[in-house]
Amino acid sequence: MKKEVLLLLFIMFTGFTALHAQAPELMIDSCAAAAGSNATYLKDFVVILPAATDRDNPPIARFPLVLSKSNIYRFSICNSRESGGVAVMKLYDSNRMIFSSYNETTGEESNPFNFMCQKTGIYHVFILFENGKPGQAVGILSYVTK
Amino acid sequence: MITRIILVLLLAGLMACQSNKGKLDAGDFEVPDSVAEAASQKVSEEAMEEIVQNVSSPIEMAALIKELGVPFSTKYLASTRNVDEYHTNFQMAYNLGVFGADLGYLNMYNKNTQVTDYLTAINKLADGIKVGQFFDFTTLKRLATNNENIDSLLYISVSSFNNMDDYLRENHRGHLSALMISGIWVEGLYLVTQVAEAKSDPLLTDRIGEQKINLNNIMLILNNYASQPGFPEFIGMMNELRSVYNDINITYEMGEPQTVEKDGMVMIVQNEKSIVHMTDDQMKTIIAKTKEIRNKLTSI
Repeated sequence: MKKEVLLLLFIMFTGFTALHAQAPELMIDSCAAAAGSNATYLKDFVVILPAATDRDNPPIARFPLVLSKSNIYRFSICNSRESGGVAVMKLYDSNRMIFSSYNETTGEESNPFNFMCQKTGIYHVFILFENGKPGQAVGILSYVTK
Repeated sequence: MITRIILVLLLAGLMACQSNKGKLDAGDFEVPDSVAEAASQKVSEEAMEEIVQNVSSPIEMAALIKELGVPFSTKYLASTRNVDEYHTNFQMAYNLGVFGADLGYLNMYNKNTQVTDYLTAINKLADGIKVGQFFDFTTLKRLATNNENIDSLLYISVSSFNNMDDYLRENHRGHLSALMISGIWVEGLYLVTQVAEAKSDPLLTDRIGEQKINLNNIMLILNNYASQPGFPEFIGMMNELRSVYNDINITYEMGEPQTVEKDGMVMIVQNEKSIVHMTDDQMKTIIAKTKEIRNKLTSI
């Protein structure tokens, strides 16, 4: 009986974790598809962020990337239904913010947004949740066909 | 006993749920101002992932060529005839990257007839280095054969390579990821330099010169695996290319970004510009050196 209970728990548990492991892939698929017909998928950024312990310093995931001059890139962000808040994507050049998908002052969301790059170099994408809520999100970088 | 096992399983589950591909920062962060020079010291796994992410996609090279109105040509592509002769992990991983870049070029031009050959070659090499499970050959072949949704073909192709790369690095086979990334990059550079040799265009010149940034990143990755078989010779060849790039200057013009609305979407127009300063001689040397490296590593 103990063995059967253990086996049942194991199957339930592995099934549960497998579902969770697949979820980001499905999110990437749907988020990439929603980027638009003139956008070609380049990269994805998957994050699972815990709730903030300090509201002024919410957990942030950071991803570096090289962007090339004369290209237009599209940045899109999608959060899972279970997430506590809106996922925010910020684009940084060195240590200066170029754009945020969420305007904290007006509450306006610009998702997706396009970036016309004129300087080849290393940029950074930051992903966080509004008000430091916990959640899972997928960011997509696409190439926009001119 | 059962309680203990359940506890272990629960802990493992919690750890799996916390998995995160990005680096988690809590507030302040430090961002490098420029690409660091290639260093001889060992680079951490985390830093390696960052460097790999810093290499731009071959799709962008192919897209540039297409947008310039350059007609498609099979002469730019690596031959798939040699695929059965690639026996070492070095050859398989490197040429997997080469064919990946060529696949991007074929997909961009919607050349589905030729795509099948490249899909077959990629599938073989991916199986060879045991990452075939991430390459959805059946779906890709169906999409190509039936001339179906090109967006799906591009998406699955690019994400398959991203997944193969992630898996290799996560499973302590980063040297194979380094070779695959290098193969993608060298083939992309070969494509664009071959086009530039036949057609002069400032966009091509800029794109070739800017590869100094990507090359510095690739050298960081390769130097990390300098003790692996085949790497010293490859690093030597890449260093020759790098020495040409070292003399190319990239300057910057400052400017504030502008936010505009275009086609109902927010567009940020960057007004800070990078300017590549490259002479004709430097361009010729890069074209020749790239061709030499590419042909040497794709031949058997």
